[in-house]
Amino acid sequence: MMLTCKEVLDSLSDYLDADMKEELVSEMKRHIGSCSDCRAEFDSLTMTLKLYKHEHAAEPTVMPVGCHDRLVKVLELEKLRSKGAPPPKMV
Amino acid sequence: MERVFDGICATEVESNEGEERLSAVTDEELVRKSKEDDERAFGELVSRYESKVYSLALRMVRNPEDAEDVLQDTFLRAYRGIKSFQGASTFSTWIYRITANSALMRLRKKQLPTVSIDNQEERETPVNIADFSPGPVEQLLNQELQHEMEEAIQSLPPEFRQVFVLRDLEEKSNAEVAEILDLSVAAVKSRLHRARLKVRNRLAGYFSENAKPKRRAMGAH
Repeated sequence: MMLTCKEVLDSLSDYLDADMKEELVSEMKRHIGSCSDCRAEFDSLTMTLKLYKHEHAAEPTVMPVGCHDRLVKVLELEKLRSKGAPPPKMV
Repeated sequence: MERVFDGICATEVESNEGEERLSAVTDEELVRKSKEDDERAFGELVSRYESKVYSLALRMVRNPEDAEDVLQDTFLRAYRGIKSFQGASTFSTWIYRITANSALMRLRKKQLPTVSIDNQEERETPVNIADFSPGPVEQLLNQELQHEMEEAIQSLPPEFRQVFVLRDLEEKSNAEVAEILDLSVAAVKSRLHRARLKVRNRLAGYFSENAKPKRRAMGAH
């Protein structure tokens, strides 16, 4: 099976994610190995994924101090509201 | 005010009373108890999922204040809607779906009106991918490039960003993302590919700009 450049470019993400049938993988590999334009597309997309995955692996996503307590408070107020209780006095 | 939603307090109370520890109970059981107005059970669900919800929210909305708003909105919606949760998906998928939708609403509010993404047939051609720098990731990742990547992700249309974050940053499978966002797997793959190309093109622009001074410098000798 021969793939056109357009078919290769449209399938690059599937190829990178190894989400492709075996016979297509071989053809993608062959095409990318022999077509410099598609290889440049493949290399640049591969590097993009490496860069942002590396960067975001180290990204801090820990909840800020007090965040859990504020969430609990919001839920407690919602519980009171849903049960028809008057809102607590603000001091 | 009694803190019945606080998962840590709930676990201690259970333990002291010699009852079943909530931390050992399955999500399905906690959902069942929550539907019967057991707030400590809902509190345990909050404890289990708040960090994951916050992480997804932060990766989507890109700032801690908005992420906290999404976190609160998500659990408020879950609390109000738990009785109508049918269990067709897992609680995990359901809570991720609420988070992704809440974040999407927030992003849409902040964005200027855009054309439907599915009508966009833009050619995803980068400025010049020949300039795309090879080399070790650690050496390339300077502050300027980190900023460029952040800008690239922020400039993704919200619907693309949802898929991109869930798939590439949260590392969910295509099938999981499809279930969370109520899309077909084909639609997830298509949006993911286009999102990746958009980020790639933005970085290609950066590498192209940064390659020019080097070329000029080389030409001067």
